[in-house]
Amino acid sequence: MSISRRLASGGLIDRSKPINFTFDGKTYGGYAGDTLASALLANDTMLVGRSFKYHRPRGIFSAGPEEPNALVTLRTGARGEPNTKATTVELFDGLVASSQNCWPSPNFDLRAVHQLAGPLLNAGFYYKTFMWPAAFWEKFYEPAIRRSAGLGALSGLDDPDTYERSHAFCDLLVIGAGPAGLAAALAAGRAGARVIVAEEDFVLGGRLLSDSAQIDGVSAASWAALAEAELGTLPNVRILKRTAVFGVYDGEYGAIERVSDHLSVPPPFAPRQRLWKIVAQQCVLAAGAQERPLVFPGNDRPGIMLASALRTYANRFGVTPGQRIAIFTTSDDGWRSAFELQKAGAEIAVVVDARTEVAPDVRKLAGNAPQFLGAHVSDTSGYRRLTNITITDSAGQTRSVAVDTLGVSGGWSPSIGIATHLGGKGSWSEEKSAFLCNDLPPGMQLAGAAAAQWTLTQALENGALAGAKAASHVGLGLQAQKPILAGDEASGNNPVWLFKGSRRKAFVDLQNDVTATDVALAAQEGFRSVEQLKRYTTLGMATDQGKTSNVNGLAILAGEIKKTIAETGATRARPPYVPVAIGAFAGLHSGKHFKPTRLTASHAASAAAGATFVEAGQWMRAQWFNAPGENDWLQSVTREVKAVRSSVGICDVSTLGKIALCGSDVGTFLDRVYINTFSTLPVGKVRYGVMLREDGFVMDDGTTGRLSADHYVMTTTTVNAGKVMQHLEYCHQVLWPELDVQMVSVTEQWAQYAVAGPKSRALLQALLGGACDVSNEAFPYLACAEFHVGNIPLRLFRVSFSGELAYEIAAPAGYGEALFNALMQAGKALGVTPYGTEALSVMRIEKGHVAGSELNGQTVARDLGLGRMMSVKKDYIGRTMAAREALIDPDRPTLVGLRPVDRSQRLRNGALLFARGMTPAPDNNAGFITSTAFSPGNNHWIGLGLLACGLERHGEIIRAWDPVRSGDLELEVVDPVFVDAEGARLRA
Amino acid sequence: MLDLAHIPAFANLRSMGDGRGVIARERRGIAVATVMARKGQSAALAAAVKEQFDINLPLGPHGSGSDAMSFLGTGPGRWLVTHDAGTPRFVDSLAQQLDSLASVVEQSDGVGLLRLSGPALLEVLAKGVAIDLSATAFPAGSVAVTQIAHMGVTLWKVDEAPTIHIAVARSMAGSFLHWLEASAAVAGLVVDS
Repeated sequence: MSISRRLASGGLIDRSKPINFTFDGKTYGGYAGDTLASALLANDTMLVGRSFKYHRPRGIFSAGPEEPNALVTLRTGARGEPNTKATTVELFDGLVASSQNCWPSPNFDLRAVHQLAGPLLNAGFYYKTFMWPAAFWEKFYEPAIRRSAGLGALSGLDDPDTYERSHAFCDLLVIGAGPAGLAAALAAGRAGARVIVAEEDFVLGGRLLSDSAQIDGVSAASWAALAEAELGTLPNVRILKRTAVFGVYDGEYGAIERVSDHLSVPPPFAPRQRLWKIVAQQCVLAAGAQERPLVFPGNDRPGIMLASALRTYANRFGVTPGQRIAIFTTSDDGWRSAFELQKAGAEIAVVVDARTEVAPDVRKLAGNAPQFLGAHVSDTSGYRRLTNITITDSAGQTRSVAVDTLGVSGGWSPSIGIATHLGGKGSWSEEKSAFLCNDLPPGMQLAGAAAAQWTLTQALENGALAGAKAASHVGLGLQAQKPILAGDEASGNNPVWLFKGSRRKAFVDLQNDVTATDVALAAQEGFRSVEQLKRYTTLGMATDQGKTSNVNGLAILAGEIKKTIAETGATRARPPYVPVAIGAFAGLHSGKHFKPTRLTASHAASAAAGATFVEAGQWMRAQWFNAPGENDWLQSVTREVKAVRSSVGICDVSTLGKIALCGSDVGTFLDRVYINTFSTLPVGKVRYGVMLREDGFVMDDGTTGRLSADHYVMTTTTVNAGKVMQHLEYCHQVLWPELDVQMVSVTEQWAQYAVAGPKSRALLQALLGGACDVSNEAFPYLACAEFHVGNIPLRLFRVSFSGELAYEIAAPAGYGEALFNALMQAGKALGVTPYGTEALSVMRIEKGHVAGSELNGQTVARDLGLGRMMSVKKDYIGRTMAAREALIDPDRPTLVGLRPVDRSQRLRNGALLFARGMTPAPDNNAGFITSTAFSPGNNHWIGLGLLACGLERHGEIIRAWDPVRSGDLELEVVDPVFVDAEGARLRA
Repeated sequence: MLDLAHIPAFANLRSMGDGRGVIARERRGIAVATVMARKGQSAALAAAVKEQFDINLPLGPHGSGSDAMSFLGTGPGRWLVTHDAGTPRFVDSLAQQLDSLASVVEQSDGVGLLRLSGPALLEVLAKGVAIDLSATAFPAGSVAVTQIAHMGVTLWKVDEAPTIHIAVARSMAGSFLHWLEASAAVAGLVVDS
């Protein structure tokens, strides 16, 4: 039977809205406004998990995002989310959570035996223990370590929820909506600045929700609510709750909004989380500060918590986590926590302050509770919950006090993590006993506790000033701000980094189980810089990124190596400041939406005709068309090739890049980008061209047609369409701006189909009737024309990639599907066959045409048998560099045709070529196979390859060695053109 | 005679979710052309556009004209022209009217055009557009050539209602609709026919 630790009244929870939730299979009750942690504490459930290394019982330690202990798995099944901080989880009805890193339960964890091995598991344990034998590492040690390491587990199921991205722009981004942040937002918002307030919590107010102070005559929490209400009336202010800013980039901030994390299932169409990119002119970082724990023996027992967290649970959530509470402090603020707890109705058993002198006003805060000055807690007891503390007083006398809760307060560390993301570094202030950041990202100011302005009055004034300053930076006049009236409080602190006492472990990093002894051992073994300390001991490397442990750890190191904290320095925080799910970065771009998909106009008609599609960049292209009865791709492809070679086929070639080039100087322009001459191209003609990169290697090839005197249309390969466009724009804008040339991509405008085969002319005649004379006389090989049928413009090109009599016909893309269907209809009597990229590839290999496998960035025109196209009468890009010695070396691999000596053998792309009888060794390599296909016309496999001195080796028998697929066969080197070498068919 | 049916780019545009956060309509039958000033003819082109269409040729990322005909500045010496009168071969006649002053290239089928409005429009567009579309930074008449979810788009803010015209590459219409539906459904996407 659990006891209720909920106070009879008070807190900012809504007692009219009870909520049921489940933790480790047991049902509990809480209220709207609770966190999972506050609701568990209200139900007297302190112990929520086991520690990472030693599996020690651990309880809720904090009341915020710095929590090192209370990591739970939220929800179940596919929505299960490990390593969620119970202190930040907003309670919702039906919430299900479970503890981690323990089995079978946090109360009884079998792996607690690790504690017995404690002395062995100290810093550097892995490095020292698993050194030998080396061969064991990969097969034995690493798998074993991985099995026992890690926190929580993923479900392994697909995430059923969605994530999205969004962008926001503002004059001022306020990070954190505590007193300083709210004051900054009010000041800038009232001045008319566009303000975004990002608050990680689900309620605005920060420490205002945890203190009983009065501001402008109302309670601190009421003042926060009034401030929020006023901000809500300003149209230029946007409040993002549940939104953590995780990183600062150049002028931009990354933030994660937990849109639906406080609901069991996101509402329809709502994402679970939203990743924000916020572009802000100015930023006020008012992220507050984190209370530092104290390091003393036995300081990790459930029931030992940050003193300020106790105060938050009491004032904000109406929960007192224990019956008898002790406070152990080195700061005035610890006494304030005692005061607030007593005020809320909790019993303070004792206040222990390590300082010998404490101001009487401060001591008054503890009321009648016994006080020990110059004393410290030297030991604790209680396994699953704290039962006793041992106090060593200034005279060295010890006494035991029975308490179930101990609040610790070692002063405060400003939350400056993200202020250091652009390279700044914290610098230690002796005066403030804290790291401050003076080297801020451009446009950023610190305000409030983040600037070590500890008191409430300071935070409010400082925040208002920062907000007004930000507004004036963006040109908005400073408006007179009414002063905010708040009481002031003492904020003295005299930190002590390590208290000695019993031989129990004194933990520095609760989440990674790093102790003071580990820090000392690291220093003793020579790891004397903070960066080394971090990596050797794993201090601060857990999911909490050492928010409660870093300063204590480096201060203890400083003591060990006899340096000051300023000399020792701190590690630099890197983004993300809070963990961000990878899914949030991906946003909508998961699965098949990873990138945009481009569909051609014939896509649906092709799918209906049995097409299997293949990705070509962003495009989906028909790869082959399955006919009834076919169950093997090669069967379909062979049928398609035979149909084209004997009758007529249709292939969608819309994906090839198409660039309109206009102006009076296009001819000159093309002469300079192509290796061959285009200025002589007559209107109504098409020419094949090759362009080089500046370094002389082939960049791309394609045809360019001249539609009218000053209008050309260039085609590129599908993959290089963007690159060629960029190259041409560069050439025009940078190299030759004096030319009258205009260009624009028209790839999207035209749906284009290859109509290939001996009956292609008959098909087009049936389709076009008298609209265009396609006879050989009127429309010979390499002719082109633009004409209208009705009001629809059509383009016709007599080009051939297959080597057959062939045309390409183009229509505006909106008519593309209809044109595809019309071609199929017109060719029905001729036996027209749609064909895909595989058949296209087979036919171009049979014809010896080069494609992507040969235009691989390592070949020059001569290698591809295109050397004679290189004009010697003009200059063009790549000409000079293509004349380099190595690129004109006659021994370079050049394009050859290949066929197996044993015609039944299959050739494989990538197989290495060697002279017959040569041992396969790098020095003997003579080239490789670039493309292979089963040639239906030859009834055996054929290939293209790049072979050293290839032109002179036709007829030679060589060896193709394919170690990847255990192939080793003999090939005959032949001319790369396997069909119609004289070109009679394409000119027919 | 060959008679081909025309399929609009956004034939699959559909309503999704509850509410009327974003109202979308495909602008069909619009003639679209890329107009590029010939070398040294910018001033003469501006004069001709003014004279023939009574439109001030925009010299930056702005639009001029009306729904019936508009010139959108998309780059130095480059405009996207839209014409809503349904005139057959409008782009051909535009090319003739601007002959020797500009090169005119047909794009009517290269882009899908949407007219977007509704109270949640800017909030929804912010999920894809990485530029500030607020009235201060992007007042009515502004044009941007930018991208949404890795797809190139041209945006034109028609008015501060706000109404925004958007042009998307036709082949990506399906992917664009996926983005639009996923982003707008929570506020309600309504097709206004």
